[in-house]
Amino acid sequence: MSKIKAENLNVYYGSKQALFDVSIDIAEKEVTALIGPSGCGKSTFLRCLNRMNDVIEICRVEGSIKMDNLELNSRKLDVVRLRENVGMVFQKPNPFPKTIYENVAYGPTIHGIAQSKEEMDQIVEKSLKKAALWNEVKDRLDEIGTGLSGGQQQRLCIARAISVSPEVILMDEPCSALDPIATAQIEELIDDLKKEVTIVIVTHSMSQAARVSQKTGFFHLGKLIEFGPTDKIFKNPDNQQTQDYITGRFG
Amino acid sequence: MNLILVTFIILLAFTSYYFGRKKALVIQSSQRLTALPKFYGYYLAAWCAAPALIIFALWSVFEPSIVKTFILQDYTDQNLTKNELQLIYTKVKALAAGTYTGNITNFLDESANKYIQLKGIANSAKVAIILAILIFSLSFAYRSVQKNDRMREPVEIFLKWVLFVASLGAVLVTIGIVFSLLFEAIRFFQAVKIFDFIFGTHWYPAKTFVRDGQPDPELMKDAFGAVPLFAGTFFIAFIAMCVAIPIGLLSGIYLSEYAGRGVRKYAKPIIEILAGIPTVVYGFFAALTVGPFVKEIGNAMGLEVSAESALAAGAVMGVMIIPFISSLSDDVITAVPQNLRDGSYAMGATKSETVKKVIFPAALPGIVGSILLAVSRAVGETMIVVMASGLAANLTMNPLESTSTITAQIVVILIGDQQFGDPKTQSAFALGISLFIVTLFLNVIALSVVKKYREKYE
Repeated sequence: MSKIKAENLNVYYGSKQALFDVSIDIAEKEVTALIGPSGCGKSTFLRCLNRMNDVIEICRVEGSIKMDNLELNSRKLDVVRLRENVGMVFQKPNPFPKTIYENVAYGPTIHGIAQSKEEMDQIVEKSLKKAALWNEVKDRLDEIGTGLSGGQQQRLCIARAISVSPEVILMDEPCSALDPIATAQIEELIDDLKKEVTIVIVTHSMSQAARVSQKTGFFHLGKLIEFGPTDKIFKNPDNQQTQDYITGRFG
Repeated sequence: MNLILVTFIILLAFTSYYFGRKKALVIQSSQRLTALPKFYGYYLAAWCAAPALIIFALWSVFEPSIVKTFILQDYTDQNLTKNELQLIYTKVKALAAGTYTGNITNFLDESANKYIQLKGIANSAKVAIILAILIFSLSFAYRSVQKNDRMREPVEIFLKWVLFVASLGAVLVTIGIVFSLLFEAIRFFQAVKIFDFIFGTHWYPAKTFVRDGQPDPELMKDAFGAVPLFAGTFFIAFIAMCVAIPIGLLSGIYLSEYAGRGVRKYAKPIIEILAGIPTVVYGFFAALTVGPFVKEIGNAMGLEVSAESALAAGAVMGVMIIPFISSLSDDVITAVPQNLRDGSYAMGATKSETVKKVIFPAALPGIVGSILLAVSRAVGETMIVVMASGLAANLTMNPLESTSTITAQIVVILIGDQQFGDPKTQSAFALGISLFIVTLFLNVIALSVVKKYREKYE
């Protein structure tokens, strides 16, 4: 089932065009990986899905992105509601300079989800468990989140993102700053999460895309070159450029 | 003469730099250089200038006292006091310079001639010695350039010593200032009990003034109570911070988070212009515009307001401090990493929620630091208080009355006639050192707060 459907998406930074006519259909409760060389526009595309490009003054988005028939690229859209539904995990772990508990409770507090302290405690516990971090931090929830190791910080950010029960989670190279063990933990986590949420992940690691995703899109120079089932993209791509990139001939 | 000599040394140093570099290029043709050619130039220039200038400086420091000893030798048998001898020497110098207008005795005349003679000898000796040193050190340095000795290390060592001397100078001057404050303050505390100074509630040094002899100890006891001054200082600083912290902080947040590039480009320099206005200008603005305005408003409301009020001075001081806080907090807020903002926005937080819950806490150490810096500045501010809040040291907590501060009282004490040994004059040093201790204390707290929060947030 389709969750997000982008049609003829064009994105400009000032006079420079970053995305050209991207049309893509992202399925529900699947992991969609976006691969491609640096600067190919995959992160730009990802940031369109929760309107993070609003933060960049010179950025202009044209075209249509529909999520469950709701037009995301519209002035009238309630961005706060959208971001409650579409969480994001960034390349560099960015926990707030607050306690572990406050980090996870941040979203529920902003959106007024918890009615009581007990409910908030439950949300925090549930989110940390889902992020596979609970056992490591349950005795020190009042320590500063930035004091954790890199992999733990990234899982904390995932816990923060899932605390508001989003339908979609966007991940922008979530493992590029992590060691292999932490990466394996996160990949396992992604596999678990996809039972409940739709995940779109940008990654530089082709093996990671192959491991975690069901669909893969290959971006090059702002264009979506090829999009399809991960197996097919990696084993038998239609496009020569995809073939070259996958086999490491460029990028 | 001195000017010509120094100019000559410096010109010679420049010449030897070019000469050394050229020599290096010549050496290069036959053997490998030990350093870049410019190091050969630096080496020669340093050997040329440094010894000569050091000797010159030492000579200039010691020459006058040596000449003085020679002149005053002739007067040792007259049993004169130190002050009288000093007076004679001043006369001799004036006579030699042709500016003396009193009675000229034979004895004085002789001394003056001797003085002129001594000066002449000293001058020629100085020139001769310095020329000798120049020749010696230059030829020494040139020989080692010719031998193609290692050039980089001596130049680096020389530069290290130049930097060391500069910082040593700064440290010594600071220590000197502190000690001179301290010694005068100790002399003050020999006349006035330290207890009376710290806990006394009346500040009225003028009443201890007596023409001859010692002032009455009973009077002393009640004239130097610094409590009103400390109270006034902190009161006015408090009013200033009440104005400066909210406006400065909010404008800092606006500039860094909300303002578009166009607004920021013009607003920031305009706010920073506030910091460039001399405090005297703020002072008369406070005294001539704000003070009367406060008085009028107060009178209209039926309050009794003095024309010189703590409120006027504090408010204007606050305006003066706004750019400190706004500019510094703008900087620290801008320095908060963008990925924290992204994280917050991605959670669906609005701009104000992000500022309140993420950016402000992350920037807090810097903001606290800038506020404490601003408090130090407010405590040390003088001109505005002198002009706008009056000089009478009232012990009051009413912002509509006139009050005075430590710095303003120091001004009052040290302008006009004064005697150096007088407790009234020395009280300025006691006030100075207490002010110094207070601001030092504030700065130490500021630093430790910043450090503590930094540990917590990084």
